[in-house]
Amino acid sequence: MKLSVNRNIGAVVWIAGLLVPLVASNSWISILSIFAIYAVVALSTDVVLGRAGMYDMGHAVYFGVGAYVTAILNVQYGVPILWTMPIAVVVAAIVGMVLAAPMVKLRGDYLLVATIGFNEIFRMILINDVGGVTGGPDGIFGIGVPSVFGYSISSQEGLFVLNWLLLGIALVLMNNLDKSRLGRVFRYLKEDELAATTLGVNARYYKILAFGLGAGLAGAAGTLFATQLATVSPSAFVFMESVTLFAIVIVGGQASIPGVLLGTVLMFVVPQVFRDLAEYRYLVFGLAMIVVMVLRPQGIWPRRNRPE
Amino acid sequence: MSLLSITDMKVSYGHIEAIKGVSLAVEEGEVVTILGANGAGKTTLMRTISGLLKPTAGTITYDGNDITQTRADAIVGLGIAHSPEGRRVFGTLTVEENLMLGAYTRPRTEALETRKQVYDLFPRLLERRLQLSGTLSGGEQQMLAIGRAMMAKPRLLMLDEPSLGLAPIIVKNIFAALADVRKTGVTILVVEQNARIALKLADRGYVLEVGKIVHEDTAKALMASSEVQEAYLGKG
Repeated sequence: MKLSVNRNIGAVVWIAGLLVPLVASNSWISILSIFAIYAVVALSTDVVLGRAGMYDMGHAVYFGVGAYVTAILNVQYGVPILWTMPIAVVVAAIVGMVLAAPMVKLRGDYLLVATIGFNEIFRMILINDVGGVTGGPDGIFGIGVPSVFGYSISSQEGLFVLNWLLLGIALVLMNNLDKSRLGRVFRYLKEDELAATTLGVNARYYKILAFGLGAGLAGAAGTLFATQLATVSPSAFVFMESVTLFAIVIVGGQASIPGVLLGTVLMFVVPQVFRDLAEYRYLVFGLAMIVVMVLRPQGIWPRRNRPE
Repeated sequence: MSLLSITDMKVSYGHIEAIKGVSLAVEEGEVVTILGANGAGKTTLMRTISGLLKPTAGTITYDGNDITQTRADAIVGLGIAHSPEGRRVFGTLTVEENLMLGAYTRPRTEALETRKQVYDLFPRLLERRLQLSGTLSGGEQQMLAIGRAMMAKPRLLMLDEPSLGLAPIIVKNIFAALADVRKTGVTILVVEQNARIALKLADRGYVLEVGKIVHEDTAKALMASSEVQEAYLGKG
């Protein structure tokens, strides 16, 4: 009962967000665009970390794979932006599953270290321009604008609507995951993998699937990230980004949609707004993270445990 | 042909060999117990049968099929349910949700039927069916763990230390329920440190010591054996 109220509030907030460009300045619109993109990446991190319970400290890799797939296909091969998105999703999902396959049996802390390794390798591949397609440390410039039914979307408002739509789709998907058998299986695995296995759950299959879903969703966000900035470079997909995504899920609230969104606001929107305070903002965030973890280890807006 | 037979099985954790060549057989409809002290390899043996661990040597045959390399989740579907050591119920789920999870491999309508039988066996679980499992007493959690394993409608029910950490009166209740379970025709393999109560329930027993079977006999004979009495029944 309460859940459906929450869901309706969510829908109203999302629609209200869609109207923001009518009243807000361009800088606010671009901040909200960035929020929408990072919210999708954070929700995708939550699939692996918060729901399936695997310590993924390299999620920026999948986000980056999506962004680079779009950049390379669009700039080098002239593929229209929106056509690159399904390819970005599929490639990112495959990368996620292939990387996950040999390591999902690792225990939490070992998995975490392994994913950091993947993130570093990914960064080195980008910087060293392996295959001659990544543009090296400078990245790729001049990514085109998306067009829908022949209309080019080049304004901030137009891009915002596109980003906001993806966020809406991601929210619907996560909400369905909450109620689905798949979502419950992830939760069983997170809570007690051995017990779940003795009841007939194929742990390896579902853990790899969680990586595939999380990576695919991050790949979609990557497409819009490349489009929003019209450029991609390695610095956006480094270890520190993965740490931030990890922190969003843990600080916001694992497996909690509002928690993850709130975490995204704290980590990506608030720093933009308080730009003038420069380095001090990181001091404030570091302290805030410590305080939250000590006083509220379940996250700021945790998931409610309710009988299903 | 035995329902379950194990031949020359060895299991290692890295360099440490926990099971050093074990052979045993369980016939359909039997209750077999495996006795042994801490570290004898009882839990390792159970986990290997249910596919959670893979043996380094030997074979496990169930119902005529070699299941040595079968995945743990597929073994559940074959009719072997394993109630692991330490109960391991899902504390944030209700009693009823835990039970339904036990029928993960089965259609819902069949599961509801089995659930009725489980509630008949453990009326306590029916009383608490909407309660979060984390708030149950240890004995109730053990009933839930056994009930959850039964939800898979197994031919072979494997129980790892059902008496662990429970008051004697509760242990008695649980073994009384297991006696009812055997009447339904389910084969039971139970690992226990509490030799006395396990031998009362069982038809036959094996005694495991540091990874090897050192005795094997009918439950009555083991109960009477002076060695077993001395080591496991506390009589000098």
